[in-house]
Amino acid sequence: MTAVDGISFDVDRGETVGIVGESGSGKTMTALSLLRLIPDPGKITSGRILFGDRDVIHMSDEEIREFRGADVAMIFQDPMTSLNPVLKVGFQVEEAMAAHRRFTSKQSRERVVPMMQRVRIPAAAQRVKDYPHQFSGGMRQRVMIAMGLSNEPSLLIADEPTTALDVTVQASIIELLRDLNRELGAAVILITHNLSVVASLCQRVIVMYAGRIVEEGPTRAIFKNPQHPYTWSLLRSIPRADERGHQKLLSIAGLPPDLSNPPPGCKFHPRCKFRIDKCFTEEPTLDDVGGGQQARCWVLMSNVPAADKGER
Amino acid sequence: MATAALPQPDLVPAYEMAVQVSLLQDAWRRIRRNRLALVGAGIILLLFLTAIVATFWTPYPVWLQAVGPTYQGPTSAHPLGLDQAGRDILSRIMGGASITVQVGVGSAIIVSLIGIPLGLLAGFYRGWVDTVISFVINIWYGIPDLLVALILVFVLSDALHLIPRGVFVIILAFSFTRWMDVARLVRGQALALREREFVEAARMSGARDFGIVVRHIFPNALGPIIVQSTFAIPAAVLFEAFLSFLGLGLPSPAPSWGAMANDGYHGLDFAPHIALAPTIALSITLMAFNWLGDGLRDAFDPRMRR
Repeated sequence: MTAVDGISFDVDRGETVGIVGESGSGKTMTALSLLRLIPDPGKITSGRILFGDRDVIHMSDEEIREFRGADVAMIFQDPMTSLNPVLKVGFQVEEAMAAHRRFTSKQSRERVVPMMQRVRIPAAAQRVKDYPHQFSGGMRQRVMIAMGLSNEPSLLIADEPTTALDVTVQASIIELLRDLNRELGAAVILITHNLSVVASLCQRVIVMYAGRIVEEGPTRAIFKNPQHPYTWSLLRSIPRADERGHQKLLSIAGLPPDLSNPPPGCKFHPRCKFRIDKCFTEEPTLDDVGGGQQARCWVLMSNVPAADKGER
Repeated sequence: MATAALPQPDLVPAYEMAVQVSLLQDAWRRIRRNRLALVGAGIILLLFLTAIVATFWTPYPVWLQAVGPTYQGPTSAHPLGLDQAGRDILSRIMGGASITVQVGVGSAIIVSLIGIPLGLLAGFYRGWVDTVISFVINIWYGIPDLLVALILVFVLSDALHLIPRGVFVIILAFSFTRWMDVARLVRGQALALREREFVEAARMSGARDFGIVVRHIFPNALGPIIVQSTFAIPAAVLFEAFLSFLGLGLPSPAPSWGAMANDGYHGLDFAPHIALAPTIALSITLMAFNWLGDGLRDAFDPRMRR
């Protein structure tokens, strides 16, 4: 079974790229393969992962260990369970640095409090001595971010960093990520299914479906002018505050395909309202559609008459 | 409330109200509510104190014979009476406490030293490492432990004279035949803990395997390890008493409770106090450790949290 296939993208220094898609579309697998951490029995069968001019796939065990955490850091969906419950948070932040050669142990110790202040944890100097259960969800996610950034990585992968948090906290974490991205200049890959998070944080978006990139481009262009029917439907499935009149909320009928037995042709055709005969047999390629945007579709939404989209 | 002042807005940040409790403090808070465990702990404390006192002072030397008439029952001079050689039983019980503590604690330490690393290795690395270690554990469970321990003591001390017959060889024999409980428990803990997100997070941040095991897996398994080690103590104590009762434990003048029970066994019908004193001491000790162990298990079990 192929969980992720033909994914190709770049992230520039200081850029924030969003990867969106529904559960099981391969977002997390894509991120995990960047660190060569695909869970058993999965493996990377082919492809290239370049970090600068270094080849991640062919790194030795020691190189990849140093690479994880020092060059690329990852923060997770659930800050509740991603911290060790029996160790003090300050120690855990220090540990993140101790595992790498970037800082001496003295420097690591001294950097803990500033790191925690940097992620806006109030009274950081006192709180380093607390245990994770004494932190709220949002504060724990800040600790995770502090751990991730402690080695000054050039890439931060955030895997649904706000999903487990409540809405008010989500906003503050997003704001924090945006500020840190500006302050530290680290590139960010943001994995999410929350389109509003993408809209507020990312310069570029990658939309994934069934292990493939179906659309990619600048955030503004994609939100304004989605070309793939899947992206279009996704955007139609969320309510918008600026919408006039009574635009109907759309849901996408059907389920994502079973990847052990994928449909022939375009993977989205069983759920697509705009499919043509070709979609049943031939898989489209990811082609430029103008404006720096790419889409994997035979039809493209710009070719669909407004009336068919249900627009007035 | 007698004050008429307006309620002030609560400006104390929430984090200052959280009580600082570590795993051990938390366990301590809960075990204090467990009466039986406290009684057990009290008895164990008494046992340890007696053991310490006995290394420096006993009413009579433990080996001194004919301090009074043989088989004499309890008197004011000898509260627990005298044995078949006229030795003061109270002194010998005290000396026995010392042996008991040495054997129990020594065995628990050795068993943990063997079991914890093996269990961590098997549970953390899984694969063939686990297959080999688990295979050995299962084979070892099939070995009749008493028989092997008897042979081991006999061979090491009596036949080859490698180690003098004493506390150490008994600890060795016990640990050799009973290290599997701790190993198996730690393996299970490691298997479960290695899948936890914080372990994955540590791996993603480039932590070394050794660091993950030492800082993330081991501390989180500490509760069950302490419990298992506590249960290893009475097992070792009983083991020593059993060997000594059979005459294969500590050599004759040593005041082992098991050997003392054997001394009294022959005069059970006319001088039962000789056998009763060590057996009662042994029973109370075993119960105390089991109560404490149960209490610790409840205290460390997160599902029992109230």
